[in-house]
Amino acid sequence: MTDAKEEKKDKTDNGEKEIRIAAIKERGAEYFFLLCSLMSIGAVLLICFFIFRGAWPTIKSVGLWHFLTFDKWKPTDVPPLFGIFNMIAGSVYVTLGACVIGVPVGIFSAVYMAKYCPYRIYPVMTQFVSLLAGIPSIIYGFFGMMLIVPFIAEYMSGNGNSVLAASVVLGIMILPTVIKVSEVSIRAVPKAYFEGALALGATKEQAIFFVGIPAAKSGILAGIILGIGRAIGETMAVVMVAGNSNILPKSVFKSVRTLTANIVLEMGYASDAHYDAIVATGAVLFLFILLLNMVLNFINRDANAAGGLS
Amino acid sequence: MNRKVLLVGFGLALATVCSGFFVSAFAQGKAKKREITVISREESSGTRGAFDELMKITDGKTNMLFEEAVIVSSTDEVASKVEVDKNAIGYTSIGAITPKVKALTVDGVVAKEENVKNGTYKISRPFVVATRTGTSLPIAADFVAFIASKSGQAVVSKAGYIPIDGAPDYKAANLTGKVTLSGSTSVEKVMEKLKEEYHKLNSNVKVEINYNGSSAGIKDCLESKSDIAMSSRELKPEEKTKLAGTTFALDGIAVIVNKTNELSAIKSETVTKIFKGELRYWNDITAQ
Repeated sequence: MTDAKEEKKDKTDNGEKEIRIAAIKERGAEYFFLLCSLMSIGAVLLICFFIFRGAWPTIKSVGLWHFLTFDKWKPTDVPPLFGIFNMIAGSVYVTLGACVIGVPVGIFSAVYMAKYCPYRIYPVMTQFVSLLAGIPSIIYGFFGMMLIVPFIAEYMSGNGNSVLAASVVLGIMILPTVIKVSEVSIRAVPKAYFEGALALGATKEQAIFFVGIPAAKSGILAGIILGIGRAIGETMAVVMVAGNSNILPKSVFKSVRTLTANIVLEMGYASDAHYDAIVATGAVLFLFILLLNMVLNFINRDANAAGGLS
Repeated sequence: MNRKVLLVGFGLALATVCSGFFVSAFAQGKAKKREITVISREESSGTRGAFDELMKITDGKTNMLFEEAVIVSSTDEVASKVEVDKNAIGYTSIGAITPKVKALTVDGVVAKEENVKNGTYKISRPFVVATRTGTSLPIAADFVAFIASKSGQAVVSKAGYIPIDGAPDYKAANLTGKVTLSGSTSVEKVMEKLKEEYHKLNSNVKVEINYNGSSAGIKDCLESKSDIAMSSRELKPEEKTKLAGTTFALDGIAVIVNKTNELSAIKSETVTKIFKGELRYWNDITAQ
């Protein structure tokens, strides 16, 4: 009798032990996952900290306003001149150009894939779009340098290394982002919207462009902004086709230097004040990206508030 | 529906005709004046430093390079830009000239090694390896000694550059370890061969080389990130206080243009004017 009791007690002890071990394991796993997620947050904070700390000396000595609005960058002159206005304008021009070329093509492709594409062709299309996203940027650069630049020089104007060449290359590069995000958001529009439009006598095109796209608006915008993020941060492909002259381009056929190009061209050898100025260029680029992310969050929040469409 | 198709077809036809006119108008404008595409290197480049100084594009304080010049970041990229652009002019190391571009005769002298060596071709610069003064790195010193020796100089002349006369003999000292180099992209071709040859004699030494431009290499060496700096320009006076340089080869800088360019000779003043942006059209040069 006593034996049996003892045994029972032992069993419950063992059971409690097992539960406790399981709890510890679970807690351990939880902390491990927490650590992993903290790592990415930590990386972002560290990058922020070092970029802005590195940029501080330049901002202090040159002055933030002067640094941003002065249009002469001559780091090896005596005394050196640091002003990145031309580069900011260059980045903005090239990105806008990429949008002008990439966004309409991207949205219409998305409409085709979501609403018109025969089911046999669809897998092929998605494959190719994914492939487009996977091509390394230096390959885009080569493509631009060997094909687009000579084409512009031959049939249009200037020497081809231009805002236009960079815009075309970037326009192609942002296509996959714009297409994928837009397609998903067009597909997410409830069928009832189209059916309602058709029932009211709209043609298929009218239903898509006057009902479907407005309903998917915020998703499409998000796609465009992700595309802009890619375009503004792109380096290698742009360096190879933009010409990198330090001027404010007066036409799309003129050469241009972007913020990223300025960093990659000069980072290797810069020292002292020049180095700090390059880091400060990076900080400005970083601010652009932060701003874009904020806009993106804002759009997403808006979309969620509007009832979770897209 | 038919009307729609007709309309779209008409629109497309109109667009084609218009763009045809547009393109031909541009093409005609182009035929009259051929604008020169000036191609230069980033400011870190030793070739650029030497070229700017020799052609008086800089006065030591202000760089007067034409501000619309296309900037590329390596020796090979200059050649590939010149190769595809009919109106391009660039400069590159004589050893790096490819058959796909044309080197111009400058002031009547052909850009050839002999002419650099006998001093008639003026646009030339030294290749230098430099180590920090005041530190003793036996392997680095041995590698530099090899480069400056008879066996090293034989490699230099085989690679198409001009060796230095009176080189001493070299005997391998059986060292073990690692030596790191960084610097000029222009010396890559010859340095890789020197590395190979050195490795045959010293199989226990690992040679690591990073090509990132002359100034970057000098900076690396000063900051002890590498043992030896490779430079394709003379060391500046302030660099000479901290570095001991050894000139191991001479190299000419050739002015290169596209294969289709009708020009085959140019004056050095003209080159200066082109790179300063004072001369903008090939037509003005051919007319001279």
